[in-house]
Amino acid sequence: MTTNTLFIRILAFGAIVAIIAGLFWSQNPAFLSTGNIRALMRHMSVNGVAALGLTFVIVVRHFDLSFPGVASFGAMTMGWLIAGGQPLWMAISGGLAVGLLFGIFNGIAVARFKLPDIVTTIATGGLAIGFSYFYSNGTSISRNFFMSGLLDINDGRFLGLDRPFAILLGAALIGILILNASRFGRAFYATGENETAAWYSGVPVNAMVVAAFALCGLCACLSVVLLVASSGAANVSAGTQLLMPAFAAVYLGAALFGRPSVLATLAGTMLMSLMLNGFTLLAIPYYYSDAIVSTVLILAITCFDPRISGALRRLIPARKEKLA
Amino acid sequence: MTDVTQQSVPTASAARRAPARQGLQPGQALMRYGFFGLVIAVFVVFAVLRPTFIAPGNIHGMLMSASIAALMFLGLTWIVAAGEIDVSFMSVAALSNMTVAGLVSGGADWPLATLGGLGIGVLFGLLNATLVAGLRLPALVITIASGALAASIAAAIGLGTSISLSTTGYVGALLDMRVGVLPLLAVIVAAIYVVAWFMQEKLTFGRYVYALEQNRAAVEEAGVPVNRLMFMLYVLSGVVSAVAGILLAANLSSGQPYLGTSYFLDGLTAVLLGGMALKFGKPNVIGTLAAVIFLTGLLNGAALLGWTDSQRQIVRGSLLLVGVGLVVYARTRTHKRKTA
Repeated sequence: MTTNTLFIRILAFGAIVAIIAGLFWSQNPAFLSTGNIRALMRHMSVNGVAALGLTFVIVVRHFDLSFPGVASFGAMTMGWLIAGGQPLWMAISGGLAVGLLFGIFNGIAVARFKLPDIVTTIATGGLAIGFSYFYSNGTSISRNFFMSGLLDINDGRFLGLDRPFAILLGAALIGILILNASRFGRAFYATGENETAAWYSGVPVNAMVVAAFALCGLCACLSVVLLVASSGAANVSAGTQLLMPAFAAVYLGAALFGRPSVLATLAGTMLMSLMLNGFTLLAIPYYYSDAIVSTVLILAITCFDPRISGALRRLIPARKEKLA
Repeated sequence: MTDVTQQSVPTASAARRAPARQGLQPGQALMRYGFFGLVIAVFVVFAVLRPTFIAPGNIHGMLMSASIAALMFLGLTWIVAAGEIDVSFMSVAALSNMTVAGLVSGGADWPLATLGGLGIGVLFGLLNATLVAGLRLPALVITIASGALAASIAAAIGLGTSISLSTTGYVGALLDMRVGVLPLLAVIVAAIYVVAWFMQEKLTFGRYVYALEQNRAAVEEAGVPVNRLMFMLYVLSGVVSAVAGILLAANLSSGQPYLGTSYFLDGLTAVLLGGMALKFGKPNVIGTLAAVIFLTGLLNGAALLGWTDSQRQIVRGSLLLVGVGLVVYARTRTHKRKTA
């Protein structure tokens, strides 16, 4: 991609953001209030961190459908550790460890044992949901949450930013360093493009796939830590709401910027959060949110598909010539 | 990548194994028919452990739920057999279920409501078919999105909760009908599966489905209307899911917006585990039927033994994992034997 097209894509993205923000602002001026923008950034943090992890899996051209279930299990593990009186850092590491372990398991199953990614991750996600019921038989956990300092992760500030947003920015920075600013990142893309060619070029293909799945599991659990910190309770369906926004963010970003990358995913997340937040302000009930996200996702994939956008482009000049 | 049952050894010489009827080695026979033995074993074990398991009422209940599930997974079986995926089937069933419930509770009569539910199935089938088969967009992401759309509308119809129904109309009457001791529905579904087996084994349709999974480009070059075939499969999946959703509305006397979740794992498990029977890892209708009966018996028996939902969920997940593992293992074995 030349700098020129990148510039055009960034301009296009800015224009879309401005249009969406303008539309919601005209309906409800509170949309651009400081309070709402902070709420938006917090909402973006939860979905953004999950989408960040998924980006790696999509880059190596695999799929992970287990992360919502794994995130639920991570949330329950963390909640159980806090309720059991463990210090906060240990509880959070416990939750993240769950994500890492499931991610590594998925990665090894897919890379080493060549199991089909979609069905395998559906199965491990189902297992994780089953495990998440073990701690409390399915009831939500919130004991000791107030005392433990977990809620400060949501309420605290860091360098003038809300802490969840600071965490997202930090995670994104690390993500950029890994994926888009290092040899390591090249190896991810190479594995996704052509596994055989990458292998002959000296890329440890299997290790890259395992790393991608491990990062995805880890990020899913980090995002659910933020979610639990904002809602104040861990429950067994905590992770399910991560699935659609994460996929939508990665695919929307990839559609806008030509290929999946950390910045593209951040852009996709921002668009999704803008829309979801705006519709919430317009008092649209919660059960419509997946309908909105999925409609946007289907439209984005369809319109940005090279063949379809090519056909559309051919259509438009043809009409202009007729007019002239 | 969208190929859910991808080969693990991409050998160029992976020509189709001729149906080796004669000279079946004991190991092969075990793999081919062993699953049916497992199905019978599950029923025998639970019948011994819990005699109520084989009480007529329980058998009847199991037959009903197995019939509805088998109907829902018919389209999915062939989609996976053709190397594609559909993860929207259970949400389409939930939406058709809620559409029927919403229409009936809103005063419409049952024939109209079932037409509405069926229309939903056709609509979502066409949506998936157009995007995946027509425009060749990635099947997994498209069906995740269309499934989420269906689930979201289903929740919106009931404003987030279920709708209970006071009448079950002609669908309820149909469910109550019996042929001898068997429920009529089970007989109808069995007949549908016999027809499906005939289409899969004796018509070119079935050959094309399995050929598609092997090499889509080759099938296209050979002049088979690949896109039209995939289009039909996705519409079929939408329609059978919708019919299952309509039947569930009468069977549960209610519309349940979240009924999809429990069918999701079961559907994929049935298709992949069933693929182990008869065809060495290739999804097929008889295998799916056997696996549905197996799962129904296992989950029902486990409930009688007092297992919790989470334990049964773990059993489901493990079975799916075992199914996938076996499929891949069986394929590497058959390919190695062929290339050796």
